Amino acid sequence: MLMKRYELIVIGAGPAGLCAAIEAAANGMQVVVYDENSRPGGQLFKQIHKFFGSKEHKAKERGFRIGEKLLDEARELGVEVVLNATVMGVFENKEITVMIEDRVEHIKGNEIIIATGASENMLPFPGWTLPGVIGAGAAQTMMNLHGIKPGNKILMVGSGNVGLVVGFQLIQAGCRLEAIIDASPRVGGYGVHASKLARLGVPFYMSNTVKEAYGEGSVKGVSIVEVDKNWQQVAGSEKTFEVDTICIAVGLSPMSQLAKMTGCIMEDSPAKGGLVPVCNEYGETSIPGIYAAGDVSGIEEASSAMLKGRIAGSAISYNQGYLEENIFKENQAKYRSSLEQLREGMFGHKNKGRTDLLNTEEGFEISLNLLENGFLADVEIAHYPGVVSQERRKQGIVPVIECTQNIPCNPCQDACEKGCIKVGQVITNLPIIDGTAKCTGCGMCVAACSGQAIFLVNEDYAPGYATVGLPYEFRPLPQIGDKGIALDRSGKAVGEAEVISIKSAKALDETAILTIKVSEDLSMKARFFKSSKEVSL
Amino acid sequence: MSKPDVIIVGGGVISCAIAYYLAKAKVKVMVLEKEEIGDGGSSRNGGGVRQSARDPREIPIAMYAINNLWPTLSEELGVDIEYHKKGNLRLGKTEEHLRVLQHNVNLGLKAGLELKMVSSAEIHELNPYVSEEVIGASYCPTDGHANPMKTTLAFYKRARELGTQFITGETVKSVILKKGKVAGVKTKENTYEAPLVILAAGMDSRVIANSVGIDIPMQKILLEALITEAQPIMFPQMLGTAAADFYGHQTDHGSFVFGGSTSLENYVSDVEGRETKSITAPYICRAILGYFPCLSKVNIIRTWAGFIDESADHVPVLSKVDEVPGLVLTCGFSGHGFGISPAIGLLISELIIKDKPSLSLEAFKYDRFKPKG
Amino acid sequence: MNKITDRTFTGEEFVSHRDDSVIICRCEEISKGEIRRAVYDGMRTMSEVKRYVRAGMGLCQGQTCSRLVKNIIAKELGLKPGEVEIPTPRSPARPVSMEIYANDGMKK
Repeated sequence: MLMKRYELIVIGAGPAGLCAAIEAAANGMQVVVYDENSRPGGQLFKQIHKFFGSKEHKAKERGFRIGEKLLDEARELGVEVVLNATVMGVFENKEITVMIEDRVEHIKGNEIIIATGASENMLPFPGWTLPGVIGAGAAQTMMNLHGIKPGNKILMVGSGNVGLVVGFQLIQAGCRLEAIIDASPRVGGYGVHASKLARLGVPFYMSNTVKEAYGEGSVKGVSIVEVDKNWQQVAGSEKTFEVDTICIAVGLSPMSQLAKMTGCIMEDSPAKGGLVPVCNEYGETSIPGIYAAGDVSGIEEASSAMLKGRIAGSAISYNQGYLEENIFKENQAKYRSSLEQLREGMFGHKNKGRTDLLNTEEGFEISLNLLENGFLADVEIAHYPGVVSQERRKQGIVPVIECTQNIPCNPCQDACEKGCIKVGQVITNLPIIDGTAKCTGCGMCVAACSGQAIFLVNEDYAPGYATVGLPYEFRPLPQIGDKGIALDRSGKAVGEAEVISIKSAKALDETAILTIKVSEDLSMKARFFKSSKEVSL
Repeated sequence: MSKPDVIIVGGGVISCAIAYYLAKAKVKVMVLEKEEIGDGGSSRNGGGVRQSARDPREIPIAMYAINNLWPTLSEELGVDIEYHKKGNLRLGKTEEHLRVLQHNVNLGLKAGLELKMVSSAEIHELNPYVSEEVIGASYCPTDGHANPMKTTLAFYKRARELGTQFITGETVKSVILKKGKVAGVKTKENTYEAPLVILAAGMDSRVIANSVGIDIPMQKILLEALITEAQPIMFPQMLGTAAADFYGHQTDHGSFVFGGSTSLENYVSDVEGRETKSITAPYICRAILGYFPCLSKVNIIRTWAGFIDESADHVPVLSKVDEVPGLVLTCGFSGHGFGISPAIGLLISELIIKDKPSLSLEAFKYDRFKPKG
Repeated sequence: MNKITDRTFTGEEFVSHRDDSVIICRCEEISKGEIRRAVYDGMRTMSEVKRYVRAGMGLCQGQTCSRLVKNIIAKELGLKPGEVEIPTPRSPARPVSMEIYANDGMKK
């Protein structure tokens, strides 16, 4: 037999591909997964930040660990995962050709899942071909997989989650993030991601685009310019930055070439990120037996990709006779409702692109300052349910949760043994602090919050002083006794601060709890610490 | 816009060339194409511009094109169509191959073509990259190659500038007859009127001709080609083999374009789309490496497929249809239309304007197909 | 792409833009101006533009530039980007050397 035949071929060993393979293999199918990279896990392996969602969505786990777990699970179930295997084409009769080492193999499948993910969009501007202009994803790969700093002084273009998250990781890697710009008037990603940057002092320039990158031989600087309502450049509004790197984070496009090659019906969907195969609810394309899962069928994030993979894997198991109908229907209902959960909230499908939302689902005012500048204004803080009254704060240590947008996420609730934090059944709810519960100051909630939006505030510390416990993911860790300044949500220095404790533990998973002592009037202002030992952050 | 004098069905190189020469002579032309300009064989062929190894009926047309039209076409159309007249080496590895090649040489010489057999030493002088296994070749110094996509689009661009009306997205379904004469065509949604209709739509010409009781015996065959990444310029000639396993050339860009066939084509071509088969490109690569082992590390960037309209006797139908006044057929090029396309354009325009093409087209009449014996 | 398009030349002049020199197709180094000029010359689809100026024909097969070329064509023609069809990708999805391609175990 010249062509090897599997029951299921999965193309791509990212979150969607691996979850599809796991699902099918768990039901008894013979599965092979091909990935062109030397490391599987797709985007997961370079994602060092904690995921959102709930426990079933792997919330508060770091991307790369999820990747490792998925791979182990797949292997244990007997899935053949072939790396450094580039699928070259999908042909008629569900045949693929795959390049492995020095040869081409013809492989046939009873069913095929295309889970090839997405690639970064580019933004052309004068000077964009200079060395130093790179995609944010590429920068992330450089830093997190290869341990290389992409540059020293960086401009981030794009304020969606990719731009915000990678921006933060650039600073963690020791780079200097000069600014974040976005042609849109509002920050596109989660407010909490933006806040992480703002309190480090990174300025946000909304309604700005790159005018020109310049430099001899490589990027030496960039000029940005404002754009008006019609996306036209406003003359005279130029600003220049001295940078050696410009990171482009202007969205992803599905890598749907293999799907299109099959001849299945495609649609160009801006909502889904570009050209995607038209699929039914199980991810099956117009060609029976050929499925698409994950970003390739519509850009979302890894948590959604994992569920889409499961949905496809389960449908295929049922088609191939490995799953009873009632169990198949049960699984589908479970996965679908989980997927719908992730699609709720301010950034979900229904609300995508909306700029007219004024209130959260519960009726709290959405912070305009957060959307336009990247941080909550001082006066806005007290309004949210995650912030207890001053009266309660004066009684002793209590978590203060500055989570002000409906995002499907609830690890904070599970983190607190004492029941201080409530999110409820609807996981997009803003977290509420139960002021009557007894906070022990353990810091588990601080570390559990993937948005790093929880602070332990103690206004009962000492006369005239308060302490603020904050999430700290930089290295080296400050030492007890270190003196420095406290920065507010906008990154402005607001007063002196001294480190009184620094807590690291396995359970905190690399998020240290840094507690600083500040004057009591700063208890609800101080949100970051800069040691006087540091030259600059 | 007023009624055109001529409607050409199909937007490939043949149509665009005919449109150009007609437009040059101030004839009002409308071209109706179902998809996009040059989307058929015109953009998918290997770009060969050759006289050798053609059916003797075609050789005079090919010679005419190479002697009179190709050399100045870039200038005339205002687009560099990358035409090169650097010869054609058809390679052989066995005695049987050499016999096949000699036969072609004889045919070519009879038609007045400069064509000869060359020795292994001569081959290596012309092309030092050929494998040592090659024992002989036929060589035609006046053959060459061009860029088929640019040629098609250049004819299109110039014809358009001269006033030809090109409409895409229109699938012609049938020819309209009124009072026994051609009056126009019907598309899916519209009707277009003209007293003269030329069918230059490859395989699709057949079903349209059927609508007025004319048939052209053709079959569609899916052929494939591939292209490599750019390489430093290595060979200027067009290349082929006696075994007919591959052919191709190196383009101005530096990439190599190669085509070839597995011999299974006749049995796997009954498909709708132009998807490539999984086994063809590997086969073509093996064939190429059998003659040019030096290309082993060169990367293939892309493969593609296209249909040829193979006529029953492997040469086109180029003919007024006497029994349907106003109908002209220019199809069935059987995979070698590109090389003669400028000449076809000119000859057909002459046929239409003064009923006297510079070369006789008698051998290409539509009613020539007869049973054997 | 079944939209009926009349491509008759209306005789207007080509208008240069300030940013015509920005490279769009990095693999083949094709500028925005060349793409705009192709549309002016009568090219109406991505495939036609590709075949005329080579934008999208390079090593990455349009992975980087397809979206950008599409947007430029759409803008020139007053269309929504979604109305401009992307050409069909073909195997191999990534470049493969001739000797590896040849080694598929199907030799007679």
